[in-house]
Amino acid sequence: MGTYEPIFSTLGLQSWCESGETSGGGPVSMADLLARNAGTDAPPPSIWELPFPSMDELHEVCAAFPQSRALTKGIEQGFLSIKDGLSLVLDPITQPLSWFLEGALWLFETTPWWLMIPVLLAIVLAVSRSRKLSVFVGLCLLTLAFIDYYSFAAQTLAVISVCAILCVVLGVPIGIAMARSDRLQRAIIPILDMLQTLPAFVYLIPLIFLFSVTEPKLYGLAIILYAIVPVVRLTDLGIRLVDQNVIEAADAFGMTDRQKLIKVQVPLALPNIMAGVNQTIMMSLSMVVIASLVSAPGLGVLVLRGIRNLELGVGLVSGLGIVVLAVILDRTTKLALARINAGQAP
Amino acid sequence: MKKLMSGFLKASALAAMAAFAITTGPADAHADCGQVSITEMNWASASVVTNVAKFVMEQGYGCKVTVVPSDTVPAATSLAENGEPDIATEMWINSAPVYQKLEDEGKVKTIANVLSDGGAEHWLIPKYLADKHPELKTIEGVLANPELVGARFHNCPEGWGCRIVNDSLKQAFDLEGNGIKVFDHGSGETLAGSIAAAYADEKPWFGYYWAPTALLGKYEMVPVDLGPYNDEIHQCNRDTDCNRVGKSPYPSARVVTGVTTAFANREPEVVEMLSKLSFTNQQMGAVLAWKEGNNASSEEAAVHFLTTYNDVWGDWLNTDAKLKLARLLK
Repeated sequence: MGTYEPIFSTLGLQSWCESGETSGGGPVSMADLLARNAGTDAPPPSIWELPFPSMDELHEVCAAFPQSRALTKGIEQGFLSIKDGLSLVLDPITQPLSWFLEGALWLFETTPWWLMIPVLLAIVLAVSRSRKLSVFVGLCLLTLAFIDYYSFAAQTLAVISVCAILCVVLGVPIGIAMARSDRLQRAIIPILDMLQTLPAFVYLIPLIFLFSVTEPKLYGLAIILYAIVPVVRLTDLGIRLVDQNVIEAADAFGMTDRQKLIKVQVPLALPNIMAGVNQTIMMSLSMVVIASLVSAPGLGVLVLRGIRNLELGVGLVSGLGIVVLAVILDRTTKLALARINAGQAP
Repeated sequence: MKKLMSGFLKASALAAMAAFAITTGPADAHADCGQVSITEMNWASASVVTNVAKFVMEQGYGCKVTVVPSDTVPAATSLAENGEPDIATEMWINSAPVYQKLEDEGKVKTIANVLSDGGAEHWLIPKYLADKHPELKTIEGVLANPELVGARFHNCPEGWGCRIVNDSLKQAFDLEGNGIKVFDHGSGETLAGSIAAAYADEKPWFGYYWAPTALLGKYEMVPVDLGPYNDEIHQCNRDTDCNRVGKSPYPSARVVTGVTTAFANREPEVVEMLSKLSFTNQQMGAVLAWKEGNNASSEEAAVHFLTTYNDVWGDWLNTDAKLKLARLLK
């Protein structure tokens, strides 16, 4: 037990340690209880069993030394103390997201299917200019409707479209700003790395504390934070990859910075930006199930039901429904991308 | 066949020996109980139950206990498909209809009501709201004043047993028609979070939750009276294929420990102990409140129970186990 006791006694901290001793009442670990049952202190551990001098281990010999749970508790309280200030600022800023999501859900739910499906097909046809793809998309949507998954799929599509559009609207300018300033790029890339690697569940926790759990923006933010990364990265990359000779030529024509950006850099970077948009849509779709944990409607809810009740069929069919939506969105954006690429070929 | 037979003989010999050990009092006749698997459901009270049971089985009965993290429905399904784990504890059998079937087939034995008072499922409002507006304690009062409860009903997530019942009840009481929007939560965490958030600002809240839970130990909630209980209506409400939904509150839920029949035959002494292992809601509530207050883990909460309630769990043990744990019991 008292492997590290000498440290405190040689440092002369004995009295400080004793000041922290309380008359029991604190949590007792299972190991202590077993030792109490055995009646004796365990024999001194050999070097192989030397415990790491962690906070809990040091607390063992010095009651005034904080346990590691004090650290997590401290972080929690620190967060809670700034929470009110944070949500005072963040709540109004993010409020439009709730309106967009509510509006999109209302639009997708109230539009009758015989209007919705043709409109969607028209959009696919306009974007991809491919009749084959439109027929495929039509078949997929009709199948989903036929097996009674249409309303769930429509909810998912509504959420995805709002989140993906917002990702592009916010992500492309950030990417452009990053491409124009090396310092900004250095500052933002670690944030993007973090957003991409941080498990989604981890940033759901502060979001639940910050916002009311009944607000749609909770899952909207979760999706956007996760899905915005590729479009930012690829916009930055695309603009930086624009041929220096072309920029020189633009300079020679006396173009202003703004003209250069709009007429030269963005059009030439468009293939990369579109690849980013494609990735962003795919990633927001992959967040659908996790977002359902914070009350996002749609196919993710059914996947969760399948997991919770072990309804294998429901889980598989709704999972496949998400795959079908992914294929539709991926094909459509890929064809649009191919069209842009073809248009730029010399 | 021969092997099976000898296995059977061995088992019955063991059982006979164990029975002998019980009748003749303390004797070292009983063998170590070997490998035992027990579920640990993913909520606080179940975790305490499992840790207490694990401790007693390991220290008192010499078992090697494997803890299987689980949930009510997966545990019941696993029992049905694989006959594993040996012990399923804190099963809220109302939400796992398959359990009843297993019991009828003789695969599973219910040996104890592990929460002796039963679980309580309610539609609730916070205490501060009930104090300010006593009329909200009945469903009629709530329906008449939807704005006082925030015009929102917090519903269970999809896939929970209570979701089906609540969906029936919301039709029966016509919540939407009375101006109360039903909010379907995505998970138990957001449902709990909404209660905590409402309490922090003393905002109105109206929805479903159950006891005993750490949450209801921490936040005082008042049940909304849904009228008299009617079993026939409730059975229909919890059945998705039944259309004649009606008004009935939840019955008190049976929360049990179940063991596989094979395990019951193999380890009668352990099963004897488990059949006594039960908690009153008051005991469990106190342990959970202590856990919350000390920021402790479930294991530490179990230790807290074992150190403060030794008169309670001492009675569960047989003489042999009592001897082994004598130091902790005094």
